[in-house]
Amino acid sequence: MQLPFHPILSDTSIFLQAERISVRYGETEALKEVFLQIPTNRVTVLIGPSGCGKSTTLRCINALVKLSSGVISYGDESIQNMSETQLRRTMGYAIQSVGLMPHLSVEENVDLVPRLLGWERSGRGERVGRLLNLVRLEPGIYRNKYPHELSGGEAQRVGVARALGADPPVLLMDEPFGAVDPLTREQLQDEFIRIQRQLKKTVIFVTHDIDEAIRLADYLVIMKEGEVVQADTPEKILSSPQDDFVERFLGPDRSLKRLSLFTADHCCIQEVLSGLEGPSKSVLPEDSTRCYWQVDEGNRPLKGFMWINGRLVSRVVHSVNHTVQTYSSMRECMATILSLGLPAAAVVDDEGHLFGEVRFETIQTISVS
Amino acid sequence: MNRNILQRRALDKQVAFALFLFLVSFTLPFLQSRENRISEEFTVSAFSLGIGPILLLLLAPLVILTSAFIPNRKRAALLSTVAAAFGIFSPLLVLSIVGNALVADLGAFARYSPASGMYVYLAAVSILYLMKQKAQSRDKVALFLVMLLAIGMGFIGMFDRLGILLEARNLGTRLWREILAHVRITGVSLLISMVIGIPIAFLAFINKAVRRVVFPILNVLQTIPGIALFGLLIAPLAALSMAFPVLREWGIQGIGNAPAIIALSMYALYPIIRYTYTSLSGIDEQVVLAAKGMGMNSTQIWKIVRLPLATVGILHGIRVALVQTLGNATLAKLIGGDGLGVLVFEGLGQASVDMVLLGMLLIIALTVISDRLFQFLINVFTPASLIREER
Ligand SMILES: Nc1ncnc2c1ncn2[C@@H]1O[C@H](COP(=O)(O)OP(=O)(O)OP(=O)(O)O)[C@@H](O)[C@H]1O
Ligand SMILES: [Mg+2]
Repeated sequence: MQLPFHPILSDTSIFLQAERISVRYGETEALKEVFLQIPTNRVTVLIGPSGCGKSTTLRCINALVKLSSGVISYGDESIQNMSETQLRRTMGYAIQSVGLMPHLSVEENVDLVPRLLGWERSGRGERVGRLLNLVRLEPGIYRNKYPHELSGGEAQRVGVARALGADPPVLLMDEPFGAVDPLTREQLQDEFIRIQRQLKKTVIFVTHDIDEAIRLADYLVIMKEGEVVQADTPEKILSSPQDDFVERFLGPDRSLKRLSLFTADHCCIQEVLSGLEGPSKSVLPEDSTRCYWQVDEGNRPLKGFMWINGRLVSRVVHSVNHTVQTYSSMRECMATILSLGLPAAAVVDDEGHLFGEVRFETIQTISVS
Repeated sequence: MNRNILQRRALDKQVAFALFLFLVSFTLPFLQSRENRISEEFTVSAFSLGIGPILLLLLAPLVILTSAFIPNRKRAALLSTVAAAFGIFSPLLVLSIVGNALVADLGAFARYSPASGMYVYLAAVSILYLMKQKAQSRDKVALFLVMLLAIGMGFIGMFDRLGILLEARNLGTRLWREILAHVRITGVSLLISMVIGIPIAFLAFINKAVRRVVFPILNVLQTIPGIALFGLLIAPLAALSMAFPVLREWGIQGIGNAPAIIALSMYALYPIIRYTYTSLSGIDEQVVLAAKGMGMNSTQIWKIVRLPLATVGILHGIRVALVQTLGNATLAKLIGGDGLGVLVFEGLGQASVDMVLLGMLLIIALTVISDRLFQFLINVFTPASLIREER
């Protein structure tokens, strides 16, 4: 019998395979014979309209709901043969409604899984501090707070820290950034990408936000009414959406969204013109179309220079709004280029050192490719 | 600013009401005397008390009236403290002085007691206390001093002829016995209903079938009037003790403390089971889901999540049951039990208002004290996070 296979990432193995899984809640059929393969050490994003079964899929994966039919297997093992609690402890789970223990402090909440696993007590406090920093919560302020003293977004971030608590190889995240403002959300996404590049965990991430999905996903799963409509790399889905539904879901600015797939460090030019002083005629001749970056002693960009229509235009760039990070998307790069009024934006690394520049031509090339 | 005025207005309404009650109290008999415990009473109204006592009694209303017109809030608050303190002290002083004068030539069994006027007066004073959003330490100190003074007055014999104290003295050690019996009956009933009720509530929470059986029964039980339940138990228990004489040796028979304790524990089951069940089922399902999701097994979910979150609710249920049982234990006397009900119902039988009053006051005092003690216990057991939430 032919299974409805979806394309799968070729450069990694399959962590989990769901074959024709169905879940019924009484009358409602939350999942209808779903077939899904989750790649190892990659970010899989589930997206779809509310009620399409995203959370249910996550709960199937860590055995929180019973399958009405179908099989989920991890490598060669079927989920039915595994100890549910053992399975869950290998998977950090950031639940959609956060679900912090109301009687435990932030610290105790984040520390719960290590405690369950019986980790050595020493070092755990320090670990909590690191995790809180990771989700941009000042440990000194938040450590001893109780859940009811947190805002929705803060609670959500504690939930994420808790999911990361025992450094699980697998992360299930159900709309983890749903309740934070766009700015913090973007920072958290940046942080997420940065961590994921280092740690290479198997992540299954649920979101409503198509931009977030395209940004974070290595493998994108689009769901509708309990079924998987299309599952592929975001590039593939953006360039050839399966049907009207997917196309409408992606929105009219598909090509702009494609830019979010590329990060600055992959597209930037590293041989840039820079120096401690402003540009001399020999370094940046009047007919040059390049940018020149004036930097301080620490190689941090201060100003950008460029000849436009016979005039040397300069822009102050020393704030974070005027430069982009190595892991910023090309979409952000374009926004920065437009707001600066220079044909390029300076790329800085984590310490703020000049790393390279992203040029407008590059963006053009990407969007026509 | 606006809110200040509003608050002030609400306050003034309360002051006006208190003043009205003070006024009413002056039109009613303030105290009464009797030649002996059951003879006809002789009432005295506040107006006929003479200039000294009247001035003393007027002190509280006048001071509170002044405080309402003072713009300086701190001074107004100070005055209201003074008014409230005098509001308790003055009537006690007047009661003892005038009362002692009244009974001086009425013979050895004569006694005096407060009458309706004094009760209304004290009601007005209680409004002064309730008016304050939060009792300040100053008010507490003032109240404590007044209590000390009143106890001092008692020691030098100023209340020797006060009706209820006379009654208490006449009862002597019997009074202590009944108080202890009341406490014991309540304690045993509560213990029984806890031992039975809490496990039932847990079972009901876990098992739907148990729930379907327990709550209808409980609801019916709760609608049976107290006295009826007491009465209903006489026959079966009498029959039991006839059939098994051993039971009689243990004190289990148709009348006496045993049926009272059984009836009281059946009544206490309701709050205990309800509160325990509600505090278990009221735990956010998402929290439990999260706990499961992070790999807690069911023992751990009980230990780390459910029990800590339910404890305070369970304790509140016990507290409600305690207060309710202390009150209901009064009825034990009706089927031959002991306790403070003895004073109340004997007093009723002998038409001795003072004795009834003594019983009632002691029950109220017991209730208030044990409620406070239990509340303290609950606070000790409440995790820091949940205390902060309540505020
Ligand atoms: N515990 C439950 N009992 C009954 N029905 C449920 C339950 N959980 C989910 N459902 C139903 O299953 C369907 C899928 O729910 P699910 O939570 O997976 O949606 P979702 O895609 O996560 O939606 P959202 O984006 O709003 O979180 C919905 O129709 C929902 O009403
Ligand atoms: Mg959901």
